[in-house]
Amino acid sequence: MSVERHQMHEEDVGAYLLRALSDVEHRRFEAHLEECPVCQDEVSRLRPAVNALPRSVYPMAPPSALKASLMAEVERDVRGREEAAGISHRPGASARVRRRLGGAFGSLRPTVAWVSASVVLLIGVVSGAAGLYALTDATGGEESSRSVVAQVDKTRVPFGSGSLLVPAGSREGTVLRVHGMPELESDSVYQVWVRRDGEVISQSLFHVGENGDGAAAVTEDLRDVDAVMVTRESAGGAKAPSEKPVLYVKL
Amino acid sequence: MSHTDDIESLADEEVMHLVRDGNPRAFELLYDRHGGAGFSLAYRMVGDRVTAEDISQEAFLSIWRSRHRYQADRGSVRTWVLGIVHHRAIDALRRNLVHDRRRSSAEGIEERHEAPERERTDVEAARREEAAHVRSALGELPDEQCRVIELAYFGGFSHSQIAEMLEMPIGTVKGRMRLGLDKLRKGLKEKVG
Repeated sequence: MSVERHQMHEEDVGAYLLRALSDVEHRRFEAHLEECPVCQDEVSRLRPAVNALPRSVYPMAPPSALKASLMAEVERDVRGREEAAGISHRPGASARVRRRLGGAFGSLRPTVAWVSASVVLLIGVVSGAAGLYALTDATGGEESSRSVVAQVDKTRVPFGSGSLLVPAGSREGTVLRVHGMPELESDSVYQVWVRRDGEVISQSLFHVGENGDGAAAVTEDLRDVDAVMVTRESAGGAKAPSEKPVLYVKL
Repeated sequence: MSHTDDIESLADEEVMHLVRDGNPRAFELLYDRHGGAGFSLAYRMVGDRVTAEDISQEAFLSIWRSRHRYQADRGSVRTWVLGIVHHRAIDALRRNLVHDRRRSSAEGIEERHEAPERERTDVEAARREEAAHVRSALGELPDEQCRVIELAYFGGFSHSQIAEMLEMPIGTVKGRMRLGLDKLRKGLKEKVG
């Protein structure tokens, strides 16, 4: 990539992200982007600002007819797909799944996903104090992995969210995924902790990217762990949490 | 806990797993969570309820039909959904007369205020708080930077159209877009602390 070509495009970054380039310019910039690490970095750096723009709009309730019309179209799609695939209703496996998922899936037609319900379903979440429960896969009755949503301190990380994948049996480590977390200065780091019997044990340190996404290892066997937490600490980590958790996964 | 809660308590990313499997109930939940934000964005952009409904319907059908394209490592589900709504709204603005109508309107691209819905849930309250937070960061931008960003993002105008409207060189418009986004990014970061 030549310096001249970069200079020709470097002012386009903002207009590109805002979709203010013409179609031809947009395609040219994307072609340039593929070979220009400087512009790639700049796009990554500025993208969170563009992603925040739609969030500045105060929410309005859409008309209920919109949802009805949309779902009717989706149901038609599903029916058409099933008919094209020659799939008929098979009550066995899907019936078990329906019993477990109950009313929420009451109106579902049998889809490929249900027919192939021997695939373990990654379902089962608890939020807050609602309590933990697990779903089983549709064929073997074995406990499956589940994802637990983190509670977030919205005063400190207003756009943050996170979830912890808890493996079946909780006998092994896992990964905590976060989104929308603020990037920390270079002298700070996010630190993951688990709490077992009142003891808080450090797990790992992590940073998030420009888009606020990140992942961190939780190495501890999760049996008897009642919470996984994230705090902001000085680079290198701390021996004990220095603040209340910004993210908290109650198990 | 009711069975309905089973799926409703899933995180967006997990809901998307089900959507990708072709599960219409999961898609319905996705719409319940983000349909309001999508519709609000479309309405903010086009200033007309019927067109905003059309855009929302097109965008969500496109989400359903291209559900395999979602990549969790490239951003949150909400960002992906709103990005698709935004693209659809821009396409609509550029292919029809909405622009002309709005350009001649005193309303311009200013925010359209509707009586706010009653805040029924914590999520809705959090969304309003989030909106206030981003607006506050936008409000701290110099007017000329904020203006070009709003004209481009919410108005769907190209840089050359903006240059013509504001009677300034294209390079200046592009520069203000870039500087404004950079400042907005920093402002959001500072507010988060």
